[in-house]
Amino acid sequence: MKVLYSWLKDFVDIEDSPEVLSDKLVKAGFEVEEIIDLSQEIQKVVIGQVLSVEKHPDADKLHVCMVNVGDDEPIQIVCGANNVSEGIKVPVCKHGAVLPGGYKIKKGKIRGVKSFGMMCGGSEIGLTEADFEGANDLGLFILPEDSQIGMDINEYIGTNDYILDIGVTANRPDCNSIIGIAKEICAVTNKQFKDYSFNITEVSEKTADVLDVKVENKTLCPRYMAKAVKNIKIEKSSDLIRKRLRLSGLRPINNIVDITNYVLLEIGQPMHAFDTRFIEGNEIIVRNAKDKEEIVALDGETYKLSTSMLAICDSKKPVAIAGIMGGEHSGVVNDTKDIIFESAKFARDNIRRSSRELNLRSDSSARFEKGVDFSTQELAINRAISLLNDGEVLSGCIDTLEKLPEEKTVEFTQNDITKILGIEIENETILNSLNCLCLDTTLENGVFTTLVPLSRDDIEGVNDIAEEVIRLYGYDHIEIKSLPVRGGKSQEQTLQSKIKNLLVSNSMNEIVTYSFTTAKSFDKLNLAQDNKLRNGIKLANALGEDFSVMRTNLVHNMISTIESNYKKGNKEARLFEIAKIYLPKELPLTELPVELDKISLGVYGNDEDFFTLKGVVENIYAMAGLKVTYERANVEFLHPGISANVIFNGEVIGKFGQVHPDVQKNYGIKTKLYVAELDLSAIIDNYTVIKPFKAIPKYPAIDRDIALIMKEDVAVGDIMNYISDFHKLIEDVTLFDIYQGDQIAKGMKSVALSVVYRDNDKTLKIEETNNLTDKLLKKLEEQFNAKLRL
Amino acid sequence: MKEKINSLIAQCKKSVENATDLKDIKEIKQTYVGKSGEFTKLLKGLRDVPKEERPEAGNLINKGKMEALDYINKAEQEIANKEKLEKMKSETIDITLPGKARSIGTLHPLTQVKEEIIDIFAGLGFSVKEGPEIETDFFNFQALNIPLDHPARDMQDTFYITENILLRTHTSPMQARTMQVEQPPIKIVVPGKVYRSDDDATHSPMFQQIEGLYVDKGVKLVDLKATLDQFAKKFFSSESRTRFRPSYFPFTEPSVEVDVSCICGGEGCRLCKGTGWIEILGAGIVNPKVLDNCGIDSKEYSGFAFGIGIERLAMMKYSIPDMRILFENDVRFLKQYK
Repeated sequence: MKVLYSWLKDFVDIEDSPEVLSDKLVKAGFEVEEIIDLSQEIQKVVIGQVLSVEKHPDADKLHVCMVNVGDDEPIQIVCGANNVSEGIKVPVCKHGAVLPGGYKIKKGKIRGVKSFGMMCGGSEIGLTEADFEGANDLGLFILPEDSQIGMDINEYIGTNDYILDIGVTANRPDCNSIIGIAKEICAVTNKQFKDYSFNITEVSEKTADVLDVKVENKTLCPRYMAKAVKNIKIEKSSDLIRKRLRLSGLRPINNIVDITNYVLLEIGQPMHAFDTRFIEGNEIIVRNAKDKEEIVALDGETYKLSTSMLAICDSKKPVAIAGIMGGEHSGVVNDTKDIIFESAKFARDNIRRSSRELNLRSDSSARFEKGVDFSTQELAINRAISLLNDGEVLSGCIDTLEKLPEEKTVEFTQNDITKILGIEIENETILNSLNCLCLDTTLENGVFTTLVPLSRDDIEGVNDIAEEVIRLYGYDHIEIKSLPVRGGKSQEQTLQSKIKNLLVSNSMNEIVTYSFTTAKSFDKLNLAQDNKLRNGIKLANALGEDFSVMRTNLVHNMISTIESNYKKGNKEARLFEIAKIYLPKELPLTELPVELDKISLGVYGNDEDFFTLKGVVENIYAMAGLKVTYERANVEFLHPGISANVIFNGEVIGKFGQVHPDVQKNYGIKTKLYVAELDLSAIIDNYTVIKPFKAIPKYPAIDRDIALIMKEDVAVGDIMNYISDFHKLIEDVTLFDIYQGDQIAKGMKSVALSVVYRDNDKTLKIEETNNLTDKLLKKLEEQFNAKLRL
Repeated sequence: MKEKINSLIAQCKKSVENATDLKDIKEIKQTYVGKSGEFTKLLKGLRDVPKEERPEAGNLINKGKMEALDYINKAEQEIANKEKLEKMKSETIDITLPGKARSIGTLHPLTQVKEEIIDIFAGLGFSVKEGPEIETDFFNFQALNIPLDHPARDMQDTFYITENILLRTHTSPMQARTMQVEQPPIKIVVPGKVYRSDDDATHSPMFQQIEGLYVDKGVKLVDLKATLDQFAKKFFSSESRTRFRPSYFPFTEPSVEVDVSCICGGEGCRLCKGTGWIEILGAGIVNPKVLDNCGIDSKEYSGFAFGIGIERLAMMKYSIPDMRILFENDVRFLKQYK
């Protein structure tokens, strides 16, 4: 529901800014989806007066004008409109002005003459002739003589206002109206609703004298009200009505149609106006349509009705599709004098179905689909009559409803409310809250009685009452007394599972090994005598020497597991374990030791080498979003030339590589094997759980392949890192070949790299990448003594 | 003229019948219905026909041309179809050859069973906690109402490191650790490794447990039964039932052993040794002394606790005869649990 802020003020005194008011509405259950500041569309446009008009020296159709815009000095404006003349007042864009559609007006020169702004026609500030006389695209929008020079044009045309876009929930159809929202505002700001007071003069002739109404299907039309007015004149609506309709997004048409639309917005009751001349037989019959009965609706289309649809008919033909759209040949036209206002309640499901079936939707059907209650039909008629400027209002209304339904009452106690909310709310607060919401409530002997108005169809029992109370009292008052239990894994546990699943998808099989091991394992791993990893915690009553020390690493168990698999004749395996190691703070233990989670990896077989293991390691850190680097490792049990440390933020958080040939021998394994031990906590603590969205590049990349000759001991990783960081246009660098052999000198190697250039803002030019590549090659030669292979 | 046309059509049909591939057809098309084909020649020859006969003759020629074209097109379609089928036939492969995907790895069956149990309890609102494996005597025993020199200590063969520091014999210490720092409601499961000095076909010195603890106002034995019944129905089958048998644990009162109905449906089989029931865990109402030891008012709160052996359930689920197989980590065994 889009609500014009200033319109609300007819019914409630608003002291709050739209923002503050929105907060209050949101807390009461009405989500304000957007506050639209209408004045933002047009900026720096003021009313100015043309002081002088002279011909442009170089252009026949242009004029050079001096315009008073209320500043100290008049400004010069070059203008091409042919209705410009001395003395007129017009909207003037000053330098820096903004017009609807985001157009900016700046000072400049037109055919050599300086112009400090622009004078506007109506269409340029979003108006039409229907909004304001003279507001068109034919020339300047000439304003009345008494307009105030310097006034912001927003003020003049009414756009110094706001639209609140309020989400109305399906249980509150009554709030799809200005008065519905206004009543809620009264409740949340503790203000009195400023109700209508109608003062209607009627002639002695009765509506019943000129019209008869019969409702054949009271289920689909529970109420039909009609009132006749004679001798009205079809003309333009008042400025206020036109302005409000326009700002609410409706096109003003004529005084009568505008009134029905105005009432729809204000009260939420769809209305229709018939020209009495076109109602044949002076009767309106509300009945189901006949099969394939045809009607030309106001949109000019012919619709074939079916028997499930409700039609408004005169004695001969349908004159409207009930609740959806009037007929073309029965509505108000320019020479209409006598009219009948219709204000009815139709069954919402039927309107919804018919509207879908006909594929015809209107503001009226949209409103009926949400549900219209019994409280608005008469109100709407009275409001419509009160908005008429002339005409003779016939006395009395035709109303097919014999008696309004009874207002419901709900009885409850304070305890009932407490049971639902879990907090105790004082009697006084309950009374106040409900009465503020126009839910007439009394308290007697501890029992509350609420009289539910017809407009609040949604309130059925004490749960609904409890909701009304708490939404006004404030959900902030619900204090948690006992914390509900939050089940499930912690984030750390979830991430650990993710890592395990990643390893499984890398063909790794999980192993589970004992937490205790033998002290001989330290020797088998060739650990130096002073290595801290030798400080294992010893059990006092171990099952045997083999199970006597709590492990300080996972590598031994991994190599042992590979040993047993190898000795059983298994030719290959990819294994992992996630488990704890136990490091004492001092020995013998005086306090509990540190227990650290580690990931251990182990692979062997024909297809395995350092890089197949490194690929798995890289995958782990890539998934976790850790930017790690690798440097050569110096670990007793790893091959010194084929092992690496994983570095993150300057710290070693893992090591991996080929098992040292001596260690391999210690375990009696006759094939190469590769192991890793990584800190789990380093990964989990730095895990990027939510990876931010990166836009898919819009512009094409350019690939450049380069082959470089360098000494064989130069680290390719260093070169690749250097290239990656070389320029922001370099998106990626990948290795695709390393060659050593006959073609090149001994002690040298050829490294072939593919460099991807991309500019995220535009399509790259070949020359740009050529230049960059030349610079890059020069630098690579300086830094690494790497030369382009020719 | 008519004869000429008919013979031309007959000729054309004959060439089409002799055509073997699309190239032949293309040539025939050019010869007869192409830009300078036979029919076009006939049309050009109309100049020599008397004026009054021309419309009819032209009509005949065009009809003839259409007939020939239809015939050629039909044949072209047939040959094209045939060639397509032949091509696809020649592309036929042996679909029984193995696929080319890289083999997937496996989670250890113990992990799979553990995760399944955790998921079930997480769904019932339990949060997952973990604690240290090297524990103090206080948390492992005393806080759980097992004082020093209590005969109940004999129930669990404990690995000691020092007099006061040991390898936890169950995951129950996390009950005490949690209750010391949190107030009810507490609803946790604690998976983890535990250690007892036992080593044979049904016992391993290291094994895994999942501890459960629920403390709140008004937690009753029926809640324990309902929770474990839910667990059994999800873990085993929706037909499963549970049964409580009286038992003794120092930290619960009353204490029960919980049996689940055997998959044999109660008829008796090797797995249940003919009883129709299989013991899966120990449980009970938390002994008020334990609550008080941990700083929770036992007059206001009550709770239940249970401990499940993961190896036991894994062995049951996968019919693994010897617990030691679980720790041998033979890849041929591991790869079975994809």
